[in-house]
Amino acid sequence: MSQPENKPRSKWAFSLDTWAVFLALAAAALVRLHIITHVKW
Amino acid sequence: MSASSVALNPAVPASSAWSRAFRLIPGILLLIAVGYAGKFIEQSIAHYTKAHHITAPNIEYVLWAILIGLVLANTIGIPEVFRPGVATYEFWLKGGIVLLGSRFLLADILHLGGISLGLVAIEIALSLTLMHVLGRIFGLGPKLTALLAVGSSICGVSAIIAAQGAIDADEEDSSYAIAAILALGAISLFTFPLIGHSLHLGEHAYGLWAGLAVDNTAEATAAGALYSDTAAKYAVLAKTTRNAMIGFIVLGYAIYWASQGRAKAVGNKAAFLWQKFPKFVLGFLLISILASAAVFTKPQLTALANLSRWAFLLTFAGVGLRTNIRQLFKQGWKPIAVGTIGEVVIALLTLSLVYGANRFFTL
Repeated sequence: MSQPENKPRSKWAFSLDTWAVFLALAAAALVRLHIITHVKW
Repeated sequence: MSASSVALNPAVPASSAWSRAFRLIPGILLLIAVGYAGKFIEQSIAHYTKAHHITAPNIEYVLWAILIGLVLANTIGIPEVFRPGVATYEFWLKGGIVLLGSRFLLADILHLGGISLGLVAIEIALSLTLMHVLGRIFGLGPKLTALLAVGSSICGVSAIIAAQGAIDADEEDSSYAIAAILALGAISLFTFPLIGHSLHLGEHAYGLWAGLAVDNTAEATAAGALYSDTAAKYAVLAKTTRNAMIGFIVLGYAIYWASQGRAKAVGNKAAFLWQKFPKFVLGFLLISILASAAVFTKPQLTALANLSRWAFLLTFAGVGLRTNIRQLFKQGWKPIAVGTIGEVVIALLTLSLVYGANRFFTL
């Protein structure tokens, strides 16, 4: 599923690694804003 | 294919992006089902033994999730429809590590990170030397040896994939090295906690050892979690320190192979380092800084820690589901032999390093 060799990657194309960081930071922001509360384990 | 090598590109047509996202759903649901089954089994056994006043050792959900995944993958196999979603286990791992940053105060990271960094530097130097010596003794090709050395000294599969491109190694060499590292990672999941308990290692010392000695980040986190929650925290910290070194080591190899005329020269070294640097380390530090600055309340920190646990649950399910034992044994005995001897020696060396650090510093 990687980019074809001959197609230059868009500058907005992030690795899944970076998307994981964005998702985690977004989740932290939602917790801080009280949108996500009481996550049980 | 490693999930980390997958790129999401908003430049592609929306329908294609949606269909790609849609293809991930079955596998992600499988990760949730396997992970939750592990948690359910742990809780059911705990309730049963408590209700019937039976004393039994608690087998953590981590082990159940990995075992269920292993059994499924190696008996009925993973149908094609589930594979893209199962490959996202690394995505959940990185997200979980970033959120785990909320459980570390920055001062702890600087203290333990400093100790880890010293230990990691020694571990990398010893591992690289050892694997090159073993590769020469067993007559492995120089690039396969380099891949095994990078995989065992830094961070398993991601490091091998990064190094493969940088030194123009064959696909076959890379799959040999990955198979060996994964096989040994799976074995370490079962041996490390047993050794840790038999040596009565403290949670901090054990966590540091697992983070230093277990190669793949997912397995290092699982090996820590199998010991205790705190051990998992320390394993992640030590492993993250190792991961941060990936760019420097791969750059060193790339420059060496280019000087031998057997790989392309590296142009902009700073850009190369940034490209190889694992970005989740920055996210982990950022969340830790926010937690240290009291941006989150106590219940919010608990919520973040629990979100991190859920993300790890999917990761552990993925560890079992992507381990194909039959395929590992098809790869030939030499890379496995080099990897096994190397890993046993590295495990012993890092154990003595941790013992030494435990004596001179407060871990």
